[in-house]
Amino acid sequence: MIEIENLSLSFGDRRALDDVSFHVPKGAVTGFIGENGAGKTSTFRVLTTWLLPDPETVSVRVGGIDLLKDPHAACSRVGVLPEQLALPGELRVDEYLKFRSRLKGVSGNRIHDEVVRVLNAVNAPEMIRRRLDTLSQGYRQRIGLADALLGDPPVLLLDEPTRGLDPRQITQFRELIDGLRGNHTLLLSSHVLGEVEQVCDRICVISEGQIRLEEDRETWMQRLDQLGRLHLELDCPDTGAKSQVTQWLKEQPEVSTVENEGSVWSIQADRTLRTRIGKKALDEKWIIQELRSEPATLESLFLQWTGPEKKKAQS
Amino acid sequence: MKRAYFLFRKELTSIFVSPVAWIIMVLFTLVMGANLYLSMIAVSGDLKQLVAAGYGGLVSWFMLLVIPPLITMKSLADENRQGALEVLMVTGISDASVVAAKWAAAWIFYVILWCCLLPLWGILGMVGVLDTGVLFVTHMGLFVVGAAYCANGILASALTSHPLASAGLAFMFNVGLFMIHWLRFFFRPGDLELLWVEYLSAVHHIGDELTQGILDIRVFVWWGSFTLLTLFLSARVLERRRW
Repeated sequence: MIEIENLSLSFGDRRALDDVSFHVPKGAVTGFIGENGAGKTSTFRVLTTWLLPDPETVSVRVGGIDLLKDPHAACSRVGVLPEQLALPGELRVDEYLKFRSRLKGVSGNRIHDEVVRVLNAVNAPEMIRRRLDTLSQGYRQRIGLADALLGDPPVLLLDEPTRGLDPRQITQFRELIDGLRGNHTLLLSSHVLGEVEQVCDRICVISEGQIRLEEDRETWMQRLDQLGRLHLELDCPDTGAKSQVTQWLKEQPEVSTVENEGSVWSIQADRTLRTRIGKKALDEKWIIQELRSEPATLESLFLQWTGPEKKKAQS
Repeated sequence: MKRAYFLFRKELTSIFVSPVAWIIMVLFTLVMGANLYLSMIAVSGDLKQLVAAGYGGLVSWFMLLVIPPLITMKSLADENRQGALEVLMVTGISDASVVAAKWAAAWIFYVILWCCLLPLWGILGMVGVLDTGVLFVTHMGLFVVGAAYCANGILASALTSHPLASAGLAFMFNVGLFMIHWLRFFFRPGDLELLWVEYLSAVHHIGDELTQGILDIRVFVWWGSFTLLTLFLSARVLERRRW
């Protein structure tokens, strides 16, 4: 639904986006993650035609329409919830959404129904007559999302949608996003990686204007499994036994690193190693005090892919 | 154009649902009403001279220079700062349409302000002999000069991202245009340059021509052209994010 090929964007001498290429399949919820200033908002701004990409950009297609050739048509296929949501406080919710509907080309006789539809979609129909400056932050975000849904655009760009919300509002908003899955293609930018992990089918990691990683859930979950750690504590084996344990662990194919301190081993390995450790302990009569796995998080994957070593390797 | 019209309607609604607009209207009517009252005393009740005395005086010019920057200061500056402009542009509306709609809403409010004084003139017309032609022509002049001053406000608003800075800049633009009149003291009667200064001077147009009942179409050509040029520049300034 979104296909970007060699997208570049410069502000003077500074290159905000450097040959960015990625695609978002139809109906998928894709997490677009990166540090501050990595290029997330710049990418969104190109997709909404607020900014024009550099001339060397090969192609930016939204819903099958080439944004470089027909920006207005491409723009009409995108709904956006910006990070900085500025609503005209002096207007009522219905006045604002009707105005936005007209701007988005919703025909006159459908406007009221469309406003009711989007307010129902974001679970805020009771807010229809409220002034925008009297709404809580959670409802303001919902109205922003309702605005993005006006005209039923196939693509939704959500820039930090849960920023400033309390935990309950975050849960509710996450449910709303979940409800849009399948009907819309979502590109969701967020710093809250736990949220991305829960909601998204795909992730796209951007750092210093370059795409570092683009993967679907299955692949990144496999990565997380591999990056997980096992903590093993044995009942005071003697020094010889300790080195025997360390040696055996290092010989296992799933193991990446082994660290030993006293009678505790910290092992970076796939979780499946636990069963074999159990069997080995029975055979060797090791007394296991504790054996627990600590799964890796998207955060660790993110740090790995945007860390200085990776940048150095890529450059 | 349709989108520009929808935005214009929304802008006008936003102006009139804000209490600030009504406060400005009340203050404007009170100050200008007092100004007309004092002018009437100064011209000993001669309604023929009252238009020139009331609308060609300092108070009237102060209003002309100050009101447009106040009306336009939030138009683009505030929206740019808050990110509302970006949200607006996502709908596919063009930069030129945004500029035109914001200017039109500000100008209509400016026109309505001056129209608030019409009941006063109506009452004066009932008690004395009022030259409605002079009054009409003077108002046309005020509207066309105001159109240019509002365009200056829109340009200043596009150039800055803070309303107060925008108001200050627009005021400076307006004062700059106003000061053209005083270049006349550098030239002698008959000089070509003096004709140019008079052609460009709002003070000359309103004070010496329109309030005297002299209708010169060149006044409208000059201020109309200036307005269009300034609005074009404003649209270009708005587009600069893409340069």
